[in-house]
Amino acid sequence: MEVKLLTEHYDDKSFQGIEGYKAKGGYEVLKKAFKMKPQEIIDEVKASGLRGRGGAGFPTGMKWGFLPKNDETRYLLCNADEGEPGTFKDRKMMERAPHQLIEGMIISSFAINSPKSYIYIRGEYNESTAILRKAIDEAYAAGMLGKNIMGSGFDHDLDLYVGAGAYICGEETGMISSLEGKKGQPKLKPPFPAVQGYLSKPTIVNNVETLAAVKYIIRDGAEAYKKHGTEKSCGTKLFSVSGNVQKPCTVEVPLGYSLMDLIELCGGLKPGRKLKAVIPGGSSAPVLTAEECVDAKMDYEDLAAKGSMLGSGAVIIIDDSNCMVDLLNVIMHFYHHESCGQCTPCREGTGWLEKMVKRIVTGEGRLDDIDLVLKVANQMKGRTICALSDAAALPAISFVEKFKKEFEYFVREGKSMVTSKGAPAHA
Amino acid sequence: MLKCTINGKEVEVKEGTTIIEAYKEMQEDIAHYCWHPGLSIAGVCRLCVVEIEGNPRLQIACNTEVRDGMVISNVSDKVEEAVRWGLDFHLINHPLDCPICDQAGECGLQEQYMKYGQYDSSMAENKVKKRKVVDLGPKIVLDAERCILCSRCVRFTEEISKTNELGIFNRGDHSMIGTVKDKPLDNDYSVNTVDICPVGALTSKDFRFQQRVWYLENTATTCPGCSTGCSVSVYHNKEGAYRVKPREDKENNGYWMCDEGRNVYKFVNKEARLLSAKTLNSGKLSSVRLAQALEDFTSFNREGKKVGVLLTGQNTTEEYKAILEMFAGADFFHWKNNEEKFNDFDGLLKRGDKNPNTNGLIETISNLKDAKSFNASNYDLTVAVMPENFLVYEDYNEKLESLKASKNLLLFSAAKLPKMELKTENTWVFPLKTFVEKEGSYLNHAKTERRIQKATSIVTEAVALNEFAAAVSRGLKININHHESRKQNEFTNIPGQY
Repeated sequence: MEVKLLTEHYDDKSFQGIEGYKAKGGYEVLKKAFKMKPQEIIDEVKASGLRGRGGAGFPTGMKWGFLPKNDETRYLLCNADEGEPGTFKDRKMMERAPHQLIEGMIISSFAINSPKSYIYIRGEYNESTAILRKAIDEAYAAGMLGKNIMGSGFDHDLDLYVGAGAYICGEETGMISSLEGKKGQPKLKPPFPAVQGYLSKPTIVNNVETLAAVKYIIRDGAEAYKKHGTEKSCGTKLFSVSGNVQKPCTVEVPLGYSLMDLIELCGGLKPGRKLKAVIPGGSSAPVLTAEECVDAKMDYEDLAAKGSMLGSGAVIIIDDSNCMVDLLNVIMHFYHHESCGQCTPCREGTGWLEKMVKRIVTGEGRLDDIDLVLKVANQMKGRTICALSDAAALPAISFVEKFKKEFEYFVREGKSMVTSKGAPAHA
Repeated sequence: MLKCTINGKEVEVKEGTTIIEAYKEMQEDIAHYCWHPGLSIAGVCRLCVVEIEGNPRLQIACNTEVRDGMVISNVSDKVEEAVRWGLDFHLINHPLDCPICDQAGECGLQEQYMKYGQYDSSMAENKVKKRKVVDLGPKIVLDAERCILCSRCVRFTEEISKTNELGIFNRGDHSMIGTVKDKPLDNDYSVNTVDICPVGALTSKDFRFQQRVWYLENTATTCPGCSTGCSVSVYHNKEGAYRVKPREDKENNGYWMCDEGRNVYKFVNKEARLLSAKTLNSGKLSSVRLAQALEDFTSFNREGKKVGVLLTGQNTTEEYKAILEMFAGADFFHWKNNEEKFNDFDGLLKRGDKNPNTNGLIETISNLKDAKSFNASNYDLTVAVMPENFLVYEDYNEKLESLKASKNLLLFSAAKLPKMELKTENTWVFPLKTFVEKEGSYLNHAKTERRIQKATSIVTEAVALNEFAAAVSRGLKININHHESRKQNEFTNIPGQY
């Protein structure tokens, strides 16, 4: 069943404004946090087992622990550059519950002693931007931001920075480059942002959902939060379910929730359709076949055991009316378009993959291409500064390996195996 | 010190050494394009991958520091496969136009291809098209299709010249090096970007299409362009010199040289040179054999004659010593150009003293008089040594003109001379060797000795001052070494080709 922690008041329009938010206990948790020591907050977050909700799933408390123990100015960056195809959970959060994010950010900033934080928001999110801007103004007016917040002696400023539309700026060091006014390209690591990030200062980059979850961990305590989810994948998770379900939507369920139940929660498949595959964690996650989906649990461990990943929680449901070759072509086009071009294997490999898959889709493929796609993709894996190269390689490998017959059919016959759809529209 | 094992050999390195530096120190092969010892680390070409025991993922050697006890290898099958593919990724959109590419013969892609090349392309698709002849500035042309986007040139303009003209525009496989409007690549060090470009993307307008590099020999020497005395290599063949490139010298010039210094080869080639000795024959200067001129000069009785010698800071210390000995008791004059700028320094390499050996002259000959007070008519014999790099002497013609007042004139010049009407009793003109034709040393601004080495013979009749003095004192037995083979010593080994 759904567990509404972060999404509890999504349907209440007044929750968007500070008055409505306060009426539902808004900024009370901040008051509680100010009574705690920063280290207690960090310990609580560590104890909660919260893992980054942006895609990589790195333990949040541990990340905060990497900050140097000194007086150096540090920054908190909220990653709201939600660009992974299939993901739309953060947008909804920013539009329905903007103050929840702001409160989570102030608590987190207090914990890591950051005087300034930024929300780096995706350029296309015009509505979210407007709503967040208004919410930030409200928070300033109410004394929740600025000097001596709630008489705690803690000063904090929050700024909104609108991206320019590059997927790569969702990568934390790419985001830092962009925020610094440079070309949005990931930085070589080490040094890691927690040591040397924005303006070469220690920087923590957390996802929207992660920062909002911090509020609930402090409100209810780590133990209460851990009651949701599995032993290693704690808490609830927002899933953006899209594709061939009757009711595509964002739902909040405990981690470890059954994938098949999740599909049912979103109205199930269209009548007469059969499940063919699911991309469980955004377009960069390896695809699961229908058979693999049967017992799949939506948590970090189970999906990893199945060779895929939870990613950002973007679940793309694919029924039998879809041609997998066509879908891969769309995905490859995306990564080719979005590669920043810094590292050679990614810059050249993403283009090469797209060209090969496109050729198959236009009926010009060679049988050798199928193996070559695998070879090229395998050589792009783990070879670059950031994970974009892997993000392109993983779907390519999983699509071709798991649906090889469809690729071979397309090469042999020059058309899709999926007859009900006929030739792909943009072939 | 840290101990580690590289390709099976145990080595000790200093703390903080990166793996690639350790490879370079032990002169072990490692492929790389973006890493350059004089620039920051980019980590983008992904070619310097190594396998570290205990780490399942290959790591890049340029951004990984050696830790004690590390066992590192780049000769495993896994690494070689990764490098082979890494190279293939570099090549799939490369035009492979080596036959018409100026970099051919000294190209990083060619070098690695010979080692790791897959020998047939597996890509059946069309290559990405980019701009071909992009004028980046007054000295440099870009071929964007050849570019492998290693970002060395961009980092150079950011970190070394600090002029920031270059950037990478666009994204992904349509990324391209470029400049912004109204800010061309034009700084005092811009041609270094051509040197560090591992492929044929950036070419120097001055050198492109002049020579195939495999027809050129290179000789390690010192740039005579200013008192810094950068370590350089002169590239030459029988016809003359074609270009000058910097040579690694951590203490003096690092990996760089200035654009101005690159022009020093221009005054050594035949078309700019005085080709033969001349003597005065019924009021007119006419060419004679070197031996004839020497004999002529030797027969001139110098006993009891008042001699004035005019020198610049452009000869070697050895030459100054010889001339001092030969004309002991003479008045020596120091001819300086832009003396007020002698101490100027641009903070990187360029100095205001456009003579390589001002200090050598000052240290060798005491009691130097300022050439401003020089008057040829005061002397029975005037000895004038014209500067080889005459372009930096604004008063060159004026000085030459003033020599007409000489009673007797012994003139040395590397450069072609204008027609001169002379009323002297005797005049002997000798063609002088330039820095590529002789050996010797300069004393640079920091009074460090900088050696020059003979690269080639361009003007066969030319002499160095010390050779001239020796020949005269030996009584005409000319022993001017034009054809000795180049000595192979450590000086000729050119380290650090990155």
